[in-house]
Amino acid sequence: MPGRRDTPADDAGERRLVRASDRWLRLLLRLYPADFRDEMGDALLETYRDRCRAALRDGGVGALAGVWLRSLADSTRNGLAERMRPAVGWRRSGNWGRDTERAVRRLARAPLFTFSMLATLTVGLGAFAMVATVVQKVLLAPLPYERPDDLYMVWRDYGKVFDLKRGNLAGTDLVALAAAGGAIEGAAALDLAQHTMTAAGSGSDETAPEQIGVLYTTPNLFRMLGVRPALGRTFAPGEVGKGRPALVVLGHELWQRRFGGRRDVLGTDVVLDGQPHRVIGVMGDGFRLDGQLAADAYATHPVNLAETEPGAGSYNVMLRARPGTPPTLVASAVGAVGRMVDERDFEGKGISLYPVGVKADLLAAVRAPLLVLGAAGVLLVLVLGVNMATLLLVRAAQREREFAISRALGANRVALVRATLLEAALLGTAVATLAALAGVWGTRALVALAPLDLPRRATVAVDWRLAALAAAAGALLGALAGAPPAGGSTRAQLATLLRNAAVRGGGGGFGPLRRAMVVAQVALSLVLLSAGGLVVRSFDRLLRVDPGFSPAGVLTFGVPVPGARYPSDTLVLAVHERLHRELAAIPGVTAVGAASALPLAGDPSQTTVRFPSAPGNTGDEERDRPLVDFMPTRAGYFEALGIRVLAGRAFAPTPTRGVREAVIDRTLARQFFPTGGAVGATFRLLGDTLLVVGVVEHARLRDVHQDGRPQVYLRDENYTDYGLSFAVRTDRAPTGLVPEVRAAVARVDPQLAVANVRSMDEIVSAAVQQPRLSAVLLSGFSLGALLLAAMGLYGVIAGSVSRRRHEIAVRLALGSDHGRVLRLVLGEGARLVALGVLVGAPGIYLASRVVDGVLVGVSPFDPLTLGAVTLGLAAVAAVACYLPARRVAAIEPAQSLLEN
Amino acid sequence: MGMDRDRPIERFLPLRPVEFDVLLSLAAGERHGYGIIQDAEARGVTAVPDVGTLYRALRRMQDQGLIGASARREAPEAGEERRHYYRITALGLQVARAEARRLAALMRAAAASGLIEGVAT
Repeated sequence: MPGRRDTPADDAGERRLVRASDRWLRLLLRLYPADFRDEMGDALLETYRDRCRAALRDGGVGALAGVWLRSLADSTRNGLAERMRPAVGWRRSGNWGRDTERAVRRLARAPLFTFSMLATLTVGLGAFAMVATVVQKVLLAPLPYERPDDLYMVWRDYGKVFDLKRGNLAGTDLVALAAAGGAIEGAAALDLAQHTMTAAGSGSDETAPEQIGVLYTTPNLFRMLGVRPALGRTFAPGEVGKGRPALVVLGHELWQRRFGGRRDVLGTDVVLDGQPHRVIGVMGDGFRLDGQLAADAYATHPVNLAETEPGAGSYNVMLRARPGTPPTLVASAVGAVGRMVDERDFEGKGISLYPVGVKADLLAAVRAPLLVLGAAGVLLVLVLGVNMATLLLVRAAQREREFAISRALGANRVALVRATLLEAALLGTAVATLAALAGVWGTRALVALAPLDLPRRATVAVDWRLAALAAAAGALLGALAGAPPAGGSTRAQLATLLRNAAVRGGGGGFGPLRRAMVVAQVALSLVLLSAGGLVVRSFDRLLRVDPGFSPAGVLTFGVPVPGARYPSDTLVLAVHERLHRELAAIPGVTAVGAASALPLAGDPSQTTVRFPSAPGNTGDEERDRPLVDFMPTRAGYFEALGIRVLAGRAFAPTPTRGVREAVIDRTLARQFFPTGGAVGATFRLLGDTLLVVGVVEHARLRDVHQDGRPQVYLRDENYTDYGLSFAVRTDRAPTGLVPEVRAAVARVDPQLAVANVRSMDEIVSAAVQQPRLSAVLLSGFSLGALLLAAMGLYGVIAGSVSRRRHEIAVRLALGSDHGRVLRLVLGEGARLVALGVLVGAPGIYLASRVVDGVLVGVSPFDPLTLGAVTLGLAAVAAVACYLPARRVAAIEPAQSLLEN
Repeated sequence: MGMDRDRPIERFLPLRPVEFDVLLSLAAGERHGYGIIQDAEARGVTAVPDVGTLYRALRRMQDQGLIGASARREAPEAGEERRHYYRITALGLQVARAEARRLAALMRAAAASGLIEGVAT
């Protein structure tokens, strides 16, 4: 029990010590969380003060020091414990089932918020994962070879001689490059050929003949790329040319598919075009050459390139530079070899060689569309980010009020925090799951939609790191979405909030910030819309072009005729005749034709032609000897593909004896016979003299949207040494014909493979696949952005109307009519939209620059498209403003003023 | 939220020592914090709670509705200084009784096992 005060001096000393204790204890109090301090701090201090006094009286300063020390330990322990209490209390006193149920109910009670949040984050993160994956895997990831940056493709530029910038190299060119030394460490010549594989593997359906791509190479390819086989070995330096055993290295996919991944395939033979090839190795799963060099198996050239005639052969050449050689040095080394070759083989006409980095070469065609896609993805994510921030602000304002009221009604603090955190966790988990799924599935869908020739297509899949990143970002953002008021909620002051709430109405707070966000959304969606509009318009143009043939109702397929099985032209021609007859006999077939290269799908051969006595000759040697695409065809080809005959006739079923007939296309006829009269003219090609029997429409072979080189059609009967693709026109569904086609080919020879079965419609569709994908994605992105901007605008105007209810009532009471007030509210929206358009305008300029690379037949500043897009945006914005603004009509001044 | 009064009494049991100390003190009348500590010291049975421990318990028990805060007033022994006083609620009394019964039952059980001398009921 406390002792009695003795003297005034003691009393003063005691007071001083008590004051010191007070300061010490106040300091210790900071160890407790703020809300605890607010509520219990004073009382706690009182008690400690009592304690200190008692200690001082009973034991003097020493005892007081003891209390101080003890109070330090006490406050540290309890302060920390109190700070941890939400977590501990959650575990101890929480009712998981009930709390979860309650959180779900809360979210369900705000379906619009929950849905927008889930949708925004799912779409945003999904789009991010998709775009990031494609850009990363296709554009950024290094090729799976050793030092891929030192690898180059080498092409021949024919300069002024004729219009061929990416010409192949001759065998002797490769030899010259490989021997050049200096910056060039090595070079490989590559040549992809299609072969019919028979009697490969074992088992019932593994013996069906199948066409596979075999890449013929110099033996050094694999060493040059720095890749090792998964099984067996690759080629030794001497294993090339005549008199060597035929060897083959299998690609991983073929090995799995045809040989079931069996290791004992090594040392066995596979039959390619009737020739047995010994399997010496199998490449690993990760190894592939992309683009035009994608192959199922690898073999070495049947000739030693060093022994070929100068200028003979046609090869893709890949080159490895010495480590770290700058590209300019590589270019000058290759250029020097090119000049030597030009002097030796082309009499110095200025035909040059040049290198292109392997990756740049591969990606040349897809770089522009992928960059557009990437930029659009970034914009979309920005729009979604702004949208989410807006949603959060609105939600935070609502929640703050709810919390204040709950607290005032006596809700338990811990329970409140727990409910909020649980809600956040629920939302976060949902978003994380959805975002990861959206990323994975979205990317799969994208790859499924992507053109078949998308480089590195096989490697494009969301990897677990990116999926985890999307999930983590989703969890974080979702939690943020659920929890914004969790921090402040426990100290919410009811009075302030209710005061604000009364002023604010239902519209939520943060007015200026939300306005700024709407402006940003309008600007961003305008940029996306204009890019999307341009790409869609370009795609529309593409669909409307006339490619020079009529694709509907045509089935196409290749029937490679192995030279080993049919060693002479007579035999090949005979099998072509029989195939033609069998196919024509299929019920429902109205025309059968064949050509060495089909429109939009083929890789025609090229050569030069001369029309010695034609009026269109200019005397300019280069111009009068143009490079043309030429295709041996079978009679019925023009009819089967619906290529219009403009003059003369198509090939008759039986060739005219003693004459080599040819049909030329419109562009070639116009060049040499500007006033007509091509039919009956003769010209020189491949050393022969040919007679023009007809002129046909130019059927586009490469691009849907533009004419290619002039074309010459020859007769299969005269030029038999080219593989044929058949085109069958039918009045039935083309794909329904496939079983009968296979049966017909098998009747001719069961060892023949039917390769590459596609309808002409599929071929055309594949040719516009990439622009279609761009158009679909960009229009999707931009419409999504527009929708979000409209939602943002709606929210702001709705908030503004309910916030200004009182003001509007006063205006109405003072004699303003509803129409005027409506205009006032709409004017607010119009200002935001106008501001957004102004801010977005420079963005349109940038977007146009980016999409320029993918546009066909549309100017990047097409006023029609840009005008329509802006008007469309304005129209949608007007609706988004008008719907909530209409509510002012319902305001009755008398009633509204009374309410206040 | 936090409608803890719906819960059956048993939900609060067993009480922590500090909580029982508080209820024991307040059952005898309103007390301020130091008063509760002094009571515990006088009882001399359980460890005297630290001040921080006590106030965390007081806050928790307030939230649970076991005790309530009384008007702040002067303490007789501390001159004109005012103190926060606490009182027990009906629920708190019920809980304290239930806890006492539970402890008594334990005592009987301990006696029956011969751990201690018999306790009067």
